[in-house]
Amino acid sequence: MSDERDKLIAEVVEKALRGDMDEINNIEDRVTRSKAKAALAKAKRAQTADSPHQIEASDTGESTAPNTLSGNPNQKVGERISEKFPDSRDGEVADTHIQLKPDQWNEIATWLKTEEDLLFDSLQCITGMDLGENVLEARYNLHSMKHRNAIEIRIAVSREIAQIPSIEQVWRIGDWFERETYDMYGIRFTGHRDLRRILLPEDWEGWPLRKDYEVQETYHGIMVPKVKEGWE
Amino acid sequence: MVLNIGPQHPSTHGVLRLQVKTDGEIISEIKPFIGYLHRCFEKHCENVTYEQVIPFTDRCDYLASMANNFGYVVAMEELMEIKVPERVEYIRVIMAELQRIASHLLALGTFGLDVGAFTPFLYMFRDRERILDMFEMTCGARLLYNYMWVGGLSHDLPIGFVESAFRFLDYFEPKIEEYNNILTYNKIFIERTADVGVMPADVAISYGVSGPNLRGSGVKWDIRKDEPYSIYDRFDFDVPVGIGEKGNLGDCWDRFNVRLTEMGESIKILRQALTQIPKNGDVHQTIPKKIRPPKGSIYKRTETPRGDLGFYIISDGSPIPNRLKMRSPAFTALSVLDEIGRGWMLSDVIAILGSLDIVLGEIDR
Repeated sequence: MSDERDKLIAEVVEKALRGDMDEINNIEDRVTRSKAKAALAKAKRAQTADSPHQIEASDTGESTAPNTLSGNPNQKVGERISEKFPDSRDGEVADTHIQLKPDQWNEIATWLKTEEDLLFDSLQCITGMDLGENVLEARYNLHSMKHRNAIEIRIAVSREIAQIPSIEQVWRIGDWFERETYDMYGIRFTGHRDLRRILLPEDWEGWPLRKDYEVQETYHGIMVPKVKEGWE
Repeated sequence: MVLNIGPQHPSTHGVLRLQVKTDGEIISEIKPFIGYLHRCFEKHCENVTYEQVIPFTDRCDYLASMANNFGYVVAMEELMEIKVPERVEYIRVIMAELQRIASHLLALGTFGLDVGAFTPFLYMFRDRERILDMFEMTCGARLLYNYMWVGGLSHDLPIGFVESAFRFLDYFEPKIEEYNNILTYNKIFIERTADVGVMPADVAISYGVSGPNLRGSGVKWDIRKDEPYSIYDRFDFDVPVGIGEKGNLGDCWDRFNVRLTEMGESIKILRQALTQIPKNGDVHQTIPKKIRPPKGSIYKRTETPRGDLGFYIISDGSPIPNRLKMRSPAFTALSVLDEIGRGWMLSDVIAILGSLDIVLGEIDR
């Protein structure tokens, strides 16, 4: 039993040193886990004593994991997406973002999250946009906790068919972010299991952050004031 | 049974309604209903100029207004490529860290209150009061400051601020030990919080949980360290993470303890900043006459007491933002409540909610 435990600890510590803490955190047994953590701390101390350069790297917050996307991550990831999912890109390559068509978004999102050298495990933000000329857009800011990369995905849809596949089950925070975007822009996220308004009341009319939004006259018999006095 | 908690309830930290499905006393589902404090922040921002947005950011997270100001001005300055003077940077860091201590004091105090410890709450408010006094001394306001402006500050530090800040730190540092004695290692408190509401690291990341809540789950992630903004790369401080000392990693006690330890780290930063701060400098020097950022967009994150505060600003070259989105850390922290609250008793849900440290003003915006 104790031999087995030692072996397990040695294994997870080695992984953790390479930046993969999941193994340690997943150990069920509390005693083993704390032993593994202690061993890890010891190993780290020994390591830093050996190589002073490594402390500097971790002190400045540089990732010790190999960064496969040096240069411009948006461009690199964009190229990878074109390879893997031909015909999913919309428009030209840009430095600041990756423009996608809505059709394959769910598959692409799953791939972005799970692909070993990308691992975009954290969805930072979904921003809705009204670009005018009948176009709505959703912008996704993704971040990888392991590789420390950030990219931005943009998906534009027309107002008539304002539908984007939901990624609520890929990143769980997508649930609330998508509800908020739906609430404000009326973009329907297909496949979302509970797409309701989130900040506004259920029976509110219209999509407030669209540029041509007009406030409803009354709400449950209460006048909604329209003239903004004292502004500007 | 379906049980309704709120919207007016002391332990919901604002106006939050929870619809709780229970089986006996065990929770099977929690449905949060938010929006009671919705003030159309993002819609208003599209109608006011860039400088007029700053008071709105105050009112989003009203317990950490300085940090919200900071997040917004850092994003704006990066968009407009403004380099602010050294003194301004230092004053901002000092204010942000004082605000972090004040905000954590309130979070810890009310958390204690939620699980039945009344006295620590008063102790912490006593000390928070001193920080608010210092803010009042600096800019005249105690809660909503409008202190940091794009490119500078509204006022320079008043005479005698640095000395009084040092006096406060000397007074406050031993108090952390006092909190430990009175609350952290109190047996009843440990019973109520250890092993309750365990949030594994992968769940936390998937739900976008950030800040002390994420660090409580053992993830060493702090934007001040990992993506340094302003001058945070100059200071020497640690990032405390939960280690599951009293129970499992990522329980309520861990989140509590991370906040408490973080106050000590803030003291470290404050001491360094107060020593290094340049004596002279004009805080209005780089404030632009007219704020007209170039066409483009930016997403910038900063570390507030509650976690990653992101501002997505889209400019079309006019003095009014085309779109301004705020990614609020409390919003993501509340969304995880259903996931980690299931299977616990009703009274535990109150503890879990308290440990997440949410501010409804920021969730509803």
